[in-house]
Amino acid sequence: MTDTLLKVDGIHTFIGQHHILQGVSFEAKTEGVTVLLGRNGAGKSTTLKTIMGLLPAKQGKIVYKGKPIQAKKPHQIARMGIGFVPENMGIFSELTVEENMQVAMLKDDIAAQKRLEDVLQMFTTLKDFWGAKAGILSGGQKQMLAIARAIVNETSLLLIDEPTKGLAPIIIDALIEAINQIKQHSVVLLVEQNFYMASQVGDDFYILDDGMVVHNGRMQDLVEDDELQSRYLGITK
Amino acid sequence: MVEQTPVQVFRSQEKMGRFTSPAFYLKIAILAAFIITPFLFPSFKSLDLVLKIMIFAVLVASFDILLGYTGILSFGHVMFFGIGAYSVALLLGKFGEPTYAFLFLGFVIAILVTTALALLISFLSLRVKAIFFAMVTLAIAEFAIILATKLSSFTGGEDGIIMSTPGIFKVSFNMGSFMGVDITGRVITYYFILVICLILFMLMARFIQSPLGRVMQAIRDNEPRAEALGYKTFVFKATSICFGCLVSTIVGGLYVMWVGYANPESVLGVPIMLDVLLMVIIGGMGTLYGALAGAAFLRLAYTFLPDLQSLAQDLLPNLHFVHTMMERWLLIFGILFILVVFFFPKGIIGTIQNYLKTRKAV
Repeated sequence: MTDTLLKVDGIHTFIGQHHILQGVSFEAKTEGVTVLLGRNGAGKSTTLKTIMGLLPAKQGKIVYKGKPIQAKKPHQIARMGIGFVPENMGIFSELTVEENMQVAMLKDDIAAQKRLEDVLQMFTTLKDFWGAKAGILSGGQKQMLAIARAIVNETSLLLIDEPTKGLAPIIIDALIEAINQIKQHSVVLLVEQNFYMASQVGDDFYILDDGMVVHNGRMQDLVEDDELQSRYLGITK
Repeated sequence: MVEQTPVQVFRSQEKMGRFTSPAFYLKIAILAAFIITPFLFPSFKSLDLVLKIMIFAVLVASFDILLGYTGILSFGHVMFFGIGAYSVALLLGKFGEPTYAFLFLGFVIAILVTTALALLISFLSLRVKAIFFAMVTLAIAEFAIILATKLSSFTGGEDGIIMSTPGIFKVSFNMGSFMGVDITGRVITYYFILVICLILFMLMARFIQSPLGRVMQAIRDNEPRAEALGYKTFVFKATSICFGCLVSTIVGGLYVMWVGYANPESVLGVPIMLDVLLMVIIGGMGTLYGALAGAAFLRLAYTFLPDLQSLAQDLLPNLHFVHTMMERWLLIFGILFILVVFFFPKGIIGTIQNYLKTRKAV
Protein backbone atom coordinates (compact mmCIF):
# COMPACT_ATOMS: atom_id res chain seq x y z
CA MET A 1 0.00 0.00 0.00
CA THR A 2 1.51 3.31 -1.10
CA ASP A 3 1.41 6.35 1.16
CA THR A 4 1.37 8.75 -1.80
CA LEU A 5 -1.91 10.31 -2.91
CA LEU A 6 -0.50 12.55 -5.64
CA LYS A 7 2.74 12.15 -7.54
CA VAL A 8 3.94 14.85 -9.88
CA ASP A 9 6.81 13.56 -11.99
CA GLY A 10 8.90 15.86 -14.16
CA ILE A 11 6.15 18.07 -15.56
CA HIS A 12 6.89 20.78 -18.10
CA THR A 13 4.29 23.48 -18.68
CA PHE A 14 4.31 26.39 -21.10
CA ILE A 15 2.20 29.55 -20.98
CA GLY A 16 2.36 30.87 -24.52
CA GLN A 17 6.04 30.84 -25.45
CA HIS A 18 7.21 30.87 -21.84
CA HIS A 19 8.57 27.65 -20.38
CA ILE A 20 7.24 28.00 -16.83
CA LEU A 21 7.57 24.54 -15.25
CA GLN A 22 10.82 22.86 -16.15
CA GLY A 23 10.51 19.39 -14.73
CA VAL A 24 8.71 19.84 -11.42
CA SER A 25 8.53 16.68 -9.32
CA PHE A 26 7.02 16.18 -5.86
CA GLU A 27 4.62 14.03 -3.88
CA ALA A 28 1.69 14.64 -1.56
CA LYS A 29 1.18 11.96 1.07
CA THR A 30 -2.19 10.41 1.95
CA GLU A 31 -2.56 12.76 4.90
CA GLY A 32 -1.48 16.20 6.03
CA VAL A 33 -0.67 19.47 4.32
CA THR A 34 2.06 19.75 1.70
CA VAL A 35 3.14 23.33 1.06
CA LEU A 36 4.68 24.66 -2.14
CA LEU A 37 6.84 27.65 -1.28
CA GLY A 38 8.86 30.00 -3.43
CA ARG A 39 9.26 33.53 -4.69
CA ASN A 40 6.90 35.26 -7.14
CA GLY A 41 7.07 33.68 -10.57
CA ALA A 42 8.62 30.44 -9.30
CA GLY A 43 5.79 28.40 -10.87
CA LYS A 44 3.71 27.52 -7.80
CA SER A 45 0.31 28.57 -9.16
CA THR A 46 1.15 27.09 -12.57
CA THR A 47 1.82 23.78 -10.83
CA LEU A 48 -1.66 23.74 -9.28
CA LYS A 49 -3.31 24.76 -12.57
CA THR A 50 -1.42 21.98 -14.36
CA ILE A 51 -2.55 19.39 -11.81
CA MET A 52 -6.13 20.64 -12.24
CA GLY A 53 -5.91 20.36 -16.04
CA LEU A 54 -6.40 24.09 -16.58
CA LEU A 55 -2.96 24.25 -18.21
CA PRO A 56 -1.68 21.33 -20.29
CA ALA A 57 1.50 19.53 -19.21
CA LYS A 58 3.69 19.16 -22.30
CA GLN A 59 5.79 16.52 -20.66
CA GLY A 60 5.82 14.47 -17.46
CA LYS A 61 3.26 12.54 -15.45
CA ILE A 62 0.73 13.40 -12.78
CA VAL A 63 -0.54 10.36 -10.90
CA TYR A 64 -3.48 10.63 -8.50
CA LYS A 65 -4.59 7.58 -6.52
CA GLY A 66 -2.44 5.47 -8.83
CA LYS A 67 -4.05 6.79 -12.04
CA PRO A 68 -2.45 9.18 -14.56
CA ILE A 69 -4.51 12.38 -14.83
CA GLN A 70 -2.30 14.68 -16.92
CA ALA A 71 -4.44 14.13 -20.05
CA LYS A 72 -7.78 14.57 -18.33
CA LYS A 73 -10.09 17.59 -18.56
CA PRO A 74 -10.64 19.84 -15.51
CA HIS A 75 -14.22 18.60 -14.97
CA GLN A 76 -13.03 14.97 -14.99
CA ILE A 77 -10.27 15.75 -12.50
CA ALA A 78 -12.72 17.58 -10.23
CA ARG A 79 -15.06 14.58 -10.27
CA MET A 80 -12.18 12.33 -9.19
CA GLY A 81 -12.19 14.16 -5.86
CA ILE A 82 -9.76 17.04 -6.35
CA GLY A 83 -11.01 20.42 -5.13
CA PHE A 84 -9.39 23.66 -6.26
CA VAL A 85 -9.36 27.10 -4.66
CA PRO A 86 -7.70 29.44 -7.16
CA GLU A 87 -5.64 32.50 -6.30
CA ASN A 88 -8.38 34.90 -7.45
CA MET A 89 -10.92 32.76 -5.52
CA GLY A 90 -13.09 32.33 -8.64
CA ILE A 91 -16.27 33.45 -6.92
CA PHE A 92 -19.39 33.65 -9.08
CA SER A 93 -20.06 37.23 -8.08
CA GLU A 94 -23.50 37.57 -9.70
CA LEU A 95 -24.80 34.49 -7.85
CA THR A 96 -25.81 34.55 -4.20
CA VAL A 97 -23.72 32.79 -1.55
CA GLU A 98 -26.35 30.05 -1.49
CA GLU A 99 -26.25 29.65 -5.27
CA ASN A 100 -22.44 29.53 -5.20
CA MET A 101 -22.64 26.65 -2.75
CA GLN A 102 -25.38 24.89 -4.71
CA VAL A 103 -23.38 25.09 -7.93
CA ALA A 104 -20.39 23.61 -6.12
CA MET A 105 -22.41 20.69 -4.75
CA LEU A 106 -22.10 17.93 -7.32
CA LYS A 107 -24.60 15.79 -5.38
CA ASP A 108 -27.71 16.78 -3.46
CA ASP A 109 -28.17 13.74 -1.22
CA ILE A 110 -28.40 13.61 2.58
CA ALA A 111 -24.63 13.24 2.95
CA ALA A 112 -24.08 16.34 0.80
CA GLN A 113 -26.60 18.33 2.86
CA LYS A 114 -24.82 17.21 6.03
CA ARG A 115 -21.49 18.37 4.60
CA LEU A 116 -23.08 21.72 3.71
CA GLU A 117 -24.25 22.16 7.30
CA ASP A 118 -20.77 21.22 8.56
CA VAL A 119 -19.14 23.71 6.22
CA LEU A 120 -21.49 26.43 7.47
CA GLN A 121 -20.55 25.56 11.03
CA MET A 122 -16.91 26.07 10.05
CA PHE A 123 -17.51 29.35 8.19
CA THR A 124 -20.36 30.89 10.20
CA THR A 125 -20.03 34.28 8.45
CA LEU A 126 -21.41 32.78 5.27
CA LYS A 127 -24.77 32.22 6.96
CA ASP A 128 -25.20 35.98 7.45
CA PHE A 129 -24.79 36.59 3.73
CA TRP A 130 -26.59 33.46 2.55
CA GLY A 131 -29.06 35.27 0.29
CA ALA A 132 -26.72 38.09 -0.78
CA LYS A 133 -24.77 38.28 -4.02
CA ALA A 134 -21.26 36.92 -3.50
CA GLY A 135 -19.82 39.97 -5.25
CA ILE A 136 -20.50 42.15 -2.21
CA LEU A 137 -18.47 39.99 0.20
CA SER A 138 -15.17 41.20 1.60
CA GLY A 139 -11.90 39.57 0.54
CA GLY A 140 -11.79 37.31 3.59
CA GLN A 141 -15.42 36.27 3.22
CA LYS A 142 -14.83 35.49 -0.46
CA GLN A 143 -11.86 33.34 0.48
CA MET A 144 -14.00 31.47 3.01
CA LEU A 145 -16.69 30.96 0.38
CA ALA A 146 -14.09 29.70 -2.10
CA ILE A 147 -12.78 27.15 0.41
CA ALA A 148 -16.30 26.22 1.52
CA ARG A 149 -17.23 25.54 -2.10
CA ALA A 150 -14.20 23.32 -2.56
CA ILE A 151 -14.81 21.18 0.52
CA VAL A 152 -18.59 20.83 0.27
CA ASN A 153 -18.02 17.80 -1.97
CA GLU A 154 -16.23 14.66 -0.91
CA THR A 155 -12.69 15.72 -1.80
CA SER A 156 -9.60 13.62 -1.15
CA LEU A 157 -7.22 16.32 -2.26
CA LEU A 158 -7.67 20.06 -1.93
CA LEU A 159 -5.48 22.45 -3.94
CA ILE A 160 -5.40 25.92 -2.39
CA ASP A 161 -3.58 28.78 -4.08
CA GLU A 162 -2.33 31.61 -1.83
CA PRO A 163 -5.41 31.93 0.40
CA THR A 164 -3.85 34.69 2.54
CA LYS A 165 -3.14 37.09 -0.30
CA GLY A 166 -4.36 40.55 0.67
CA LEU A 167 -6.06 39.41 3.86
CA ALA A 168 -5.90 40.98 7.34
CA PRO A 169 -3.99 39.02 10.07
CA ILE A 170 -7.19 38.23 11.98
CA ILE A 171 -8.68 36.60 8.88
CA ILE A 172 -5.45 34.67 8.33
CA ASP A 173 -5.78 33.19 11.83
CA ALA A 174 -9.34 32.08 10.98
CA LEU A 175 -8.06 30.48 7.77
CA ILE A 176 -5.31 28.66 9.68
CA GLU A 177 -7.95 27.23 11.98
CA ALA A 178 -10.11 26.23 9.00
CA ILE A 179 -7.26 24.49 7.16
CA ASN A 180 -6.25 22.65 10.32
CA GLN A 181 -9.83 21.36 10.51
CA ILE A 182 -9.90 20.45 6.81
CA LYS A 183 -6.67 18.46 7.05
CA GLN A 184 -8.38 16.06 9.47
CA HIS A 185 -10.32 14.52 6.57
CA SER A 186 -8.66 15.72 3.36
CA VAL A 187 -5.14 16.07 2.02
CA VAL A 188 -4.19 19.67 1.25
CA LEU A 189 -1.68 20.91 -1.30
CA LEU A 190 -1.14 24.54 -0.39
CA VAL A 191 0.66 27.24 -2.35
CA GLU A 192 1.64 30.00 0.03
CA GLN A 193 4.02 32.95 0.25
CA ASN A 194 3.05 33.82 3.79
CA PHE A 195 5.54 31.77 5.78
CA TYR A 196 3.64 32.25 9.04
CA MET A 197 0.57 30.61 7.52
CA ALA A 198 2.63 27.86 5.87
CA SER A 199 4.44 27.04 9.11
CA GLN A 200 1.17 26.87 11.08
CA VAL A 201 -0.54 24.35 8.85
CA GLY A 202 2.19 22.60 6.82
CA ASP A 203 3.61 19.13 7.41
CA ASP A 204 5.87 18.86 4.37
CA PHE A 205 7.25 21.50 2.05
CA TYR A 206 8.73 21.87 -1.41
CA ILE A 207 10.52 25.04 -2.49
CA LEU A 208 10.20 25.99 -6.14
CA ASP A 209 12.54 28.31 -7.97
CA ASP A 210 12.53 29.09 -11.71
CA GLY A 211 10.11 26.27 -12.43
CA MET A 212 12.00 23.55 -10.56
CA VAL A 213 11.93 22.06 -7.09
CA VAL A 214 15.14 23.15 -5.38
CA HIS A 215 14.58 21.86 -1.87
CA ASN A 216 12.12 19.81 0.17
CA GLY A 217 11.66 18.35 3.61
CA ARG A 218 9.60 18.47 6.80
CA MET A 219 8.07 21.85 7.63
CA GLN A 220 9.31 21.63 11.20
CA ASP A 221 12.90 21.45 9.92
CA LEU A 222 12.40 24.53 7.75
CA VAL A 223 10.90 26.48 10.64
CA GLU A 224 14.03 25.77 12.68
CA ASP A 225 16.51 26.51 9.86
CA ASP A 226 16.98 30.30 9.51
CA GLU A 227 19.71 29.91 6.89
CA LEU A 228 17.43 27.87 4.61
CA GLN A 229 14.61 30.39 5.04
CA SER A 230 16.93 33.22 4.15
CA ARG A 231 18.44 31.45 1.12
CA TYR A 232 15.25 30.30 -0.57
CA LEU A 233 12.50 32.51 0.80
CA GLY A 234 14.39 35.74 1.51
CA ILE A 235 13.24 35.73 5.15
CA THR A 236 15.66 37.52 7.50
CA LYS A 237 15.27 37.68 11.25
CA MET B 1 -39.01 18.91 17.95
CA VAL B 2 -36.00 18.77 15.59
CA GLU B 3 -34.18 22.07 15.35
CA GLN B 4 -33.90 23.48 11.83
CA THR B 5 -30.46 23.95 10.32
CA PRO B 6 -29.48 27.45 9.08
CA VAL B 7 -30.02 26.39 5.47
CA GLN B 8 -33.49 25.00 6.25
CA VAL B 9 -34.42 28.18 8.13
CA PHE B 10 -33.38 30.34 5.17
CA ARG B 11 -35.25 28.17 2.67
CA SER B 12 -38.48 28.12 4.66
CA GLN B 13 -38.30 31.92 5.06
CA GLU B 14 -37.76 32.26 1.34
CA LYS B 15 -40.73 29.98 0.56
CA MET B 16 -42.99 31.93 2.92
CA GLY B 17 -41.94 35.24 1.39
CA ARG B 18 -42.45 34.07 -2.18
CA PHE B 19 -46.22 34.67 -2.18
CA THR B 20 -46.23 37.80 -0.06
CA SER B 21 -43.60 39.85 -1.87
CA PRO B 22 -44.59 42.97 -3.89
CA ALA B 23 -42.94 41.37 -6.95
CA PHE B 24 -45.43 38.49 -6.80
CA TYR B 25 -48.41 40.87 -6.78
CA LEU B 26 -46.86 42.93 -9.58
CA LYS B 27 -46.62 39.79 -11.74
CA ILE B 28 -50.27 38.94 -11.00
CA ALA B 29 -51.29 42.52 -11.91
CA ILE B 30 -49.40 42.37 -15.22
CA LEU B 31 -50.99 39.02 -16.07
CA ALA B 32 -54.44 40.40 -15.19
CA ALA B 33 -53.78 43.39 -17.46
CA PHE B 34 -52.98 41.06 -20.36
CA ILE B 35 -56.13 39.03 -19.68
CA ILE B 36 -58.56 41.96 -19.53
CA THR B 37 -57.09 43.96 -22.43
CA PRO B 38 -59.59 42.62 -25.06
CA PHE B 39 -62.44 43.76 -22.80
CA LEU B 40 -61.04 47.18 -21.89
CA PHE B 41 -59.41 48.05 -25.22
CA PRO B 42 -61.00 45.86 -27.93
CA SER B 43 -59.59 47.84 -30.89
CA PHE B 44 -57.14 46.01 -33.15
CA LYS B 45 -54.43 48.61 -32.52
CA SER B 46 -54.56 47.99 -28.76
CA LEU B 47 -54.65 44.21 -29.08
CA ASP B 48 -51.83 44.30 -31.63
CA LEU B 49 -49.68 46.46 -29.35
CA VAL B 50 -50.23 44.35 -26.23
CA LEU B 51 -49.77 41.06 -28.07
CA LYS B 52 -46.55 42.22 -29.70
CA ILE B 53 -45.26 43.30 -26.29
CA MET B 54 -46.05 39.79 -25.05
CA ILE B 55 -44.47 38.03 -28.04
CA PHE B 56 -41.34 40.18 -28.00
CA ALA B 57 -41.05 39.79 -24.23
CA VAL B 58 -40.83 36.01 -24.67
CA LEU B 59 -38.44 36.35 -27.63
CA VAL B 60 -36.20 38.73 -25.67
CA ALA B 61 -36.35 36.49 -22.58
CA SER B 62 -35.22 33.53 -24.72
CA PHE B 63 -32.32 35.67 -25.96
CA ASP B 64 -31.60 36.64 -22.36
CA ILE B 65 -31.22 32.93 -21.49
CA LEU B 66 -28.28 32.91 -23.90
CA LEU B 67 -26.76 36.34 -23.32
CA GLY B 68 -27.74 37.25 -19.77
CA TYR B 69 -27.68 33.83 -18.16
CA THR B 70 -25.00 31.95 -20.09
CA GLY B 71 -22.88 34.77 -21.52
CA ILE B 72 -23.32 33.70 -25.16
CA LEU B 73 -23.79 36.50 -27.68
CA SER B 74 -25.56 35.08 -30.74
CA PHE B 75 -26.69 37.37 -33.55
CA GLY B 76 -28.46 34.39 -35.07
CA HIS B 77 -31.22 34.27 -32.48
CA VAL B 78 -33.85 35.98 -34.62
CA MET B 79 -33.13 33.47 -37.39
CA PHE B 80 -34.87 30.86 -35.22
CA PHE B 81 -37.83 33.22 -34.77
CA GLY B 82 -37.92 33.36 -38.58
CA ILE B 83 -37.70 29.57 -38.90
CA GLY B 84 -40.77 29.22 -36.68
CA ALA B 85 -42.61 31.94 -38.58
CA TYR B 86 -41.77 30.58 -42.03
CA SER B 87 -42.51 26.99 -41.07
CA VAL B 88 -46.03 27.82 -39.84
CA ALA B 89 -46.64 30.27 -42.72
CA LEU B 90 -45.51 27.71 -45.32
CA LEU B 91 -47.75 24.96 -43.99
CA LEU B 92 -50.78 27.21 -43.64
CA GLY B 93 -50.23 29.33 -46.74
CA LYS B 94 -48.93 26.95 -49.38
CA PHE B 95 -50.97 23.80 -49.06
CA GLY B 96 -54.54 24.85 -49.70
CA GLU B 97 -57.11 25.33 -46.96
CA PRO B 98 -55.40 25.83 -43.56
CA THR B 99 -56.10 23.09 -41.01
CA TYR B 100 -55.20 22.44 -37.37
CA ALA B 101 -53.00 19.55 -38.55
CA PHE B 102 -50.97 21.91 -40.77
CA LEU B 103 -50.69 24.38 -37.91
CA PHE B 104 -49.43 21.67 -35.56
CA LEU B 105 -47.10 20.26 -38.21
CA GLY B 106 -45.71 23.74 -38.83
CA PHE B 107 -44.63 23.97 -35.21
CA VAL B 108 -43.24 20.42 -35.19
CA ILE B 109 -41.11 21.03 -38.31
CA ALA B 110 -39.88 24.34 -36.87
CA ILE B 111 -38.87 22.60 -33.64
CA LEU B 112 -37.01 19.83 -35.49
CA VAL B 113 -35.15 22.19 -37.83
CA THR B 114 -34.30 24.49 -34.93
CA THR B 115 -32.96 21.66 -32.78
CA ALA B 116 -30.65 20.50 -35.57
CA LEU B 117 -29.42 24.03 -36.36
CA ALA B 118 -29.05 24.99 -32.69
CA LEU B 119 -26.91 21.91 -32.09
CA LEU B 120 -24.74 22.87 -35.06
CA ILE B 121 -24.33 26.38 -33.66
CA SER B 122 -23.50 24.87 -30.24
CA PHE B 123 -20.63 22.92 -31.79
CA LEU B 124 -19.41 26.16 -33.34
CA SER B 125 -19.20 27.63 -29.84
CA LEU B 126 -16.61 24.97 -29.03
CA ARG B 127 -14.38 26.10 -31.88
CA VAL B 128 -14.72 29.87 -31.77
CA LYS B 129 -14.91 32.13 -28.75
CA ALA B 130 -16.95 35.20 -27.77
CA ILE B 131 -16.95 37.89 -30.45
CA PHE B 132 -15.97 35.43 -33.20
CA PHE B 133 -18.94 33.27 -32.27
CA ALA B 134 -21.17 36.37 -32.51
CA MET B 135 -19.77 37.13 -35.97
CA VAL B 136 -20.24 33.57 -37.19
CA THR B 137 -23.88 33.53 -36.02
CA LEU B 138 -24.43 36.90 -37.73
CA ALA B 139 -23.10 35.40 -40.97
CA ILE B 140 -25.44 32.40 -40.59
CA ALA B 141 -28.39 34.73 -39.97
CA GLU B 142 -27.51 36.77 -43.08
CA PHE B 143 -27.30 33.53 -45.04
CA ALA B 144 -30.82 32.64 -43.85
CA ILE B 145 -32.11 36.03 -45.06
CA ILE B 146 -30.50 35.48 -48.47
CA LEU B 147 -32.02 31.99 -48.65
CA ALA B 148 -35.48 33.30 -47.77
CA THR B 149 -35.15 36.03 -50.40
CA LYS B 150 -33.69 33.93 -53.21
CA LEU B 151 -35.78 30.76 -52.84
CA SER B 152 -38.82 32.72 -53.98
CA SER B 153 -40.77 29.74 -55.36
CA PHE B 154 -40.68 28.23 -51.88
CA THR B 155 -40.62 31.24 -49.54
CA GLY B 156 -42.30 33.89 -51.65
CA GLY B 157 -39.05 35.90 -51.89
CA GLU B 158 -39.13 39.47 -50.58
CA ASP B 159 -42.95 39.49 -50.64
CA GLY B 160 -43.04 36.49 -48.31
CA ILE B 161 -46.02 34.27 -47.62
CA ILE B 162 -49.50 35.43 -46.75
CA MET B 163 -51.59 32.90 -44.88
CA SER B 164 -54.73 32.55 -42.81
CA THR B 165 -55.31 30.54 -39.68
CA PRO B 166 -57.63 27.55 -39.36
CA GLY B 167 -61.00 27.11 -37.60
CA ILE B 168 -61.53 29.17 -34.48
CA PHE B 169 -58.38 31.21 -35.18
CA LYS B 170 -59.81 32.56 -38.47
CA VAL B 171 -60.33 36.33 -38.45
CA SER B 172 -63.91 35.84 -39.76
CA PHE B 173 -64.81 33.38 -36.97
CA ASN B 174 -67.27 34.78 -34.42
CA MET B 175 -68.45 32.94 -31.33
CA GLY B 176 -70.85 35.66 -30.31
CA SER B 177 -70.69 38.40 -27.74
CA PHE B 178 -69.42 38.16 -24.16
CA MET B 179 -69.58 41.15 -21.77
CA GLY B 180 -70.11 43.42 -24.77
CA VAL B 181 -67.08 42.16 -26.68
CA ASP B 182 -67.29 40.05 -29.84
CA ILE B 183 -65.35 36.83 -29.31
CA THR B 184 -63.85 36.69 -32.78
CA GLY B 185 -61.01 34.59 -34.17
CA ARG B 186 -58.71 37.52 -33.33
CA VAL B 187 -59.67 37.44 -29.65
CA ILE B 188 -59.34 33.65 -29.49
CA THR B 189 -55.90 33.86 -31.18
CA TYR B 190 -54.96 36.55 -28.65
CA TYR B 191 -55.79 34.28 -25.71
CA PHE B 192 -54.19 31.24 -27.35
CA ILE B 193 -50.94 33.17 -27.82
CA LEU B 194 -51.21 34.60 -24.29
CA VAL B 195 -51.50 31.09 -22.79
CA ILE B 196 -48.57 29.71 -24.82
CA CYS B 197 -46.43 32.77 -24.03
CA LEU B 198 -47.26 32.40 -20.34
CA ILE B 199 -46.28 28.71 -20.40
CA LEU B 200 -43.03 29.53 -22.23
CA PHE B 201 -42.23 32.31 -19.76
CA MET B 202 -42.89 30.03 -16.77
CA LEU B 203 -40.73 27.34 -18.37
CA MET B 204 -37.89 29.83 -18.78
CA ALA B 205 -38.29 31.06 -15.19
CA ARG B 206 -38.16 27.45 -13.96
CA PHE B 207 -35.19 26.75 -16.24
CA ILE B 208 -33.04 29.55 -14.83
CA GLN B 209 -33.94 28.71 -11.22
CA SER B 210 -33.11 25.03 -11.70
CA PRO B 211 -29.68 23.60 -10.84
CA LEU B 212 -29.00 23.63 -14.59
CA GLY B 213 -29.74 27.36 -14.74
CA ARG B 214 -27.44 28.05 -11.81
CA VAL B 215 -24.56 26.23 -13.51
CA MET B 216 -25.17 28.28 -16.66
CA GLN B 217 -24.92 31.47 -14.63
CA ALA B 218 -21.71 30.17 -13.09
CA ILE B 219 -20.35 29.55 -16.61
CA ARG B 220 -21.27 33.11 -17.52
CA ASP B 221 -19.41 34.47 -14.47
CA ASN B 222 -16.30 32.28 -14.75
CA GLU B 223 -16.19 29.40 -17.22
CA PRO B 224 -12.80 27.86 -16.26
CA ARG B 225 -13.86 27.91 -12.62
CA ALA B 226 -17.16 26.16 -13.42
CA GLU B 227 -15.20 23.51 -15.30
CA ALA B 228 -12.80 23.09 -12.38
CA LEU B 229 -15.82 22.49 -10.14
CA GLY B 230 -16.66 19.43 -12.23
CA TYR B 231 -18.98 20.66 -14.99
CA LYS B 232 -18.55 19.84 -18.66
CA THR B 233 -19.38 23.38 -19.69
CA PHE B 234 -19.99 22.62 -23.37
CA VAL B 235 -23.02 20.45 -22.51
CA PHE B 236 -24.55 23.27 -20.47
CA LYS B 237 -23.88 25.87 -23.16
CA ALA B 238 -25.40 23.61 -25.82
CA THR B 239 -28.47 23.04 -23.62
CA SER B 240 -28.85 26.78 -23.14
CA ILE B 241 -28.51 27.51 -26.86
CA CYS B 242 -31.00 24.79 -27.83
CA PHE B 243 -33.54 25.81 -25.19
CA GLY B 244 -33.36 29.52 -26.04
CA CYS B 245 -33.61 28.83 -29.77
CA LEU B 246 -36.60 26.48 -29.32
CA VAL B 247 -38.51 29.14 -27.41
CA SER B 248 -37.61 31.65 -30.12
CA THR B 249 -38.90 29.38 -32.89
CA ILE B 250 -42.20 28.67 -31.09
CA VAL B 251 -42.79 32.35 -30.50
CA GLY B 252 -42.01 32.98 -34.20
CA GLY B 253 -44.82 30.58 -35.12
CA LEU B 254 -47.17 32.39 -32.75
CA TYR B 255 -46.19 35.77 -34.23
CA VAL B 256 -47.08 34.68 -37.73
CA MET B 257 -50.41 33.31 -36.49
CA TRP B 258 -51.20 36.85 -35.36
CA VAL B 259 -49.87 38.97 -38.25
CA GLY B 260 -50.83 36.50 -41.03
CA TYR B 261 -47.68 36.86 -43.13
CA ALA B 262 -43.97 36.14 -43.05
CA ASN B 263 -41.31 37.87 -45.13
CA PRO B 264 -37.55 38.27 -44.63
CA GLU B 265 -37.88 41.83 -43.31
CA SER B 266 -40.61 41.11 -40.76
CA VAL B 267 -39.31 37.86 -39.22
CA LEU B 268 -35.63 37.45 -40.15
CA GLY B 269 -34.25 40.96 -40.58
CA VAL B 270 -31.23 42.34 -38.75
CA PRO B 271 -33.33 45.31 -37.46
CA ILE B 272 -35.40 42.80 -35.43
CA MET B 273 -32.18 41.44 -33.92
CA LEU B 274 -31.15 45.00 -33.06
CA ASP B 275 -34.56 45.58 -31.45
CA VAL B 276 -34.12 42.44 -29.38
CA LEU B 277 -30.67 43.64 -28.29
CA LEU B 278 -32.08 47.06 -27.35
CA MET B 279 -34.92 45.44 -25.42
CA VAL B 280 -32.57 43.23 -23.42
CA ILE B 281 -30.29 46.19 -22.63
CA ILE B 282 -33.21 48.42 -21.62
CA GLY B 283 -34.88 45.72 -19.52
CA GLY B 284 -31.68 44.38 -17.98
CA MET B 285 -29.51 41.43 -18.95
CA GLY B 286 -29.88 38.34 -16.82
CA THR B 287 -33.17 39.39 -15.28
CA LEU B 288 -35.72 37.54 -17.46
CA TYR B 289 -38.56 39.88 -16.40
CA GLY B 290 -36.49 42.72 -17.83
CA ALA B 291 -37.50 41.32 -21.21
CA LEU B 292 -41.06 42.42 -20.53
CA ALA B 293 -39.95 45.92 -19.49
CA GLY B 294 -37.68 46.23 -22.54
CA ALA B 295 -40.31 44.95 -24.95
CA ALA B 296 -42.97 47.25 -23.49
CA PHE B 297 -40.64 50.27 -23.66
CA LEU B 298 -39.69 49.71 -27.28
CA ARG B 299 -43.11 48.69 -28.59
CA LEU B 300 -44.81 51.61 -26.82
CA ALA B 301 -42.18 53.98 -28.19
CA TYR B 302 -42.56 52.64 -31.73
CA THR B 303 -46.35 52.89 -31.52
CA PHE B 304 -46.83 56.26 -29.86
CA LEU B 305 -43.74 58.35 -30.69
CA PRO B 306 -44.72 58.74 -34.39
CA ASP B 307 -48.09 60.16 -33.19
CA LEU B 308 -46.38 62.89 -31.17
CA GLN B 309 -46.25 65.25 -34.15
CA SER B 310 -50.02 65.35 -34.59
CA LEU B 311 -50.42 65.65 -30.82
CA ALA B 312 -48.02 68.59 -30.80
CA GLN B 313 -49.90 70.21 -33.69
CA ASP B 314 -53.16 69.93 -31.76
CA LEU B 315 -51.81 71.13 -28.43
CA LEU B 316 -49.23 73.68 -29.60
CA PRO B 317 -50.42 74.86 -33.05
CA ASN B 318 -48.00 77.83 -33.29
CA LEU B 319 -44.78 76.18 -32.21
CA HIS B 320 -43.41 74.95 -35.56
CA PHE B 321 -40.03 74.10 -34.05
CA VAL B 322 -41.71 71.57 -31.76
CA HIS B 323 -43.61 70.08 -34.74
CA THR B 324 -40.35 69.63 -36.63
CA MET B 325 -38.74 68.03 -33.57
CA MET B 326 -41.66 65.66 -33.13
CA GLU B 327 -41.47 64.67 -36.79
CA ARG B 328 -38.05 63.19 -36.05
CA TRP B 329 -39.38 60.85 -33.43
CA LEU B 330 -36.36 58.55 -33.68
CA LEU B 331 -34.33 61.41 -32.20
CA ILE B 332 -36.66 61.46 -29.20
CA PHE B 333 -36.36 57.70 -28.97
CA GLY B 334 -32.56 58.05 -28.96
CA ILE B 335 -32.75 60.56 -26.11
CA LEU B 336 -35.08 58.26 -24.16
CA PHE B 337 -32.69 55.35 -24.70
CA ILE B 338 -29.72 57.39 -23.46
CA LEU B 339 -31.71 58.44 -20.38
CA VAL B 340 -32.64 54.84 -19.59
CA VAL B 341 -29.04 53.65 -19.97
CA PHE B 342 -27.83 56.61 -17.89
CA PHE B 343 -30.27 56.16 -15.00
CA PHE B 344 -30.55 52.37 -15.20
CA PRO B 345 -27.03 51.14 -16.01
CA LYS B 346 -28.05 47.51 -15.51
CA GLY B 347 -31.37 47.95 -17.32
CA ILE B 348 -34.66 48.90 -15.69
CA ILE B 349 -35.29 45.63 -13.85
CA GLY B 350 -31.59 44.87 -13.32
CA THR B 351 -30.95 48.19 -11.58
CA ILE B 352 -34.06 47.88 -9.40
CA GLN B 353 -33.21 44.28 -8.44
CA ASN B 354 -29.63 45.25 -7.68
CA TYR B 355 -30.73 48.12 -5.47
CA LEU B 356 -33.21 45.95 -3.56
CA LYS B 357 -30.73 43.08 -3.07
CA THR B 358 -27.94 45.38 -1.88
CA ARG B 359 -30.32 47.12 0.53
CA LYS B 360 -31.51 43.76 1.85
CA ALA B 361 -27.95 42.48 2.28
CA VAL B 362 -26.84 45.62 4.11
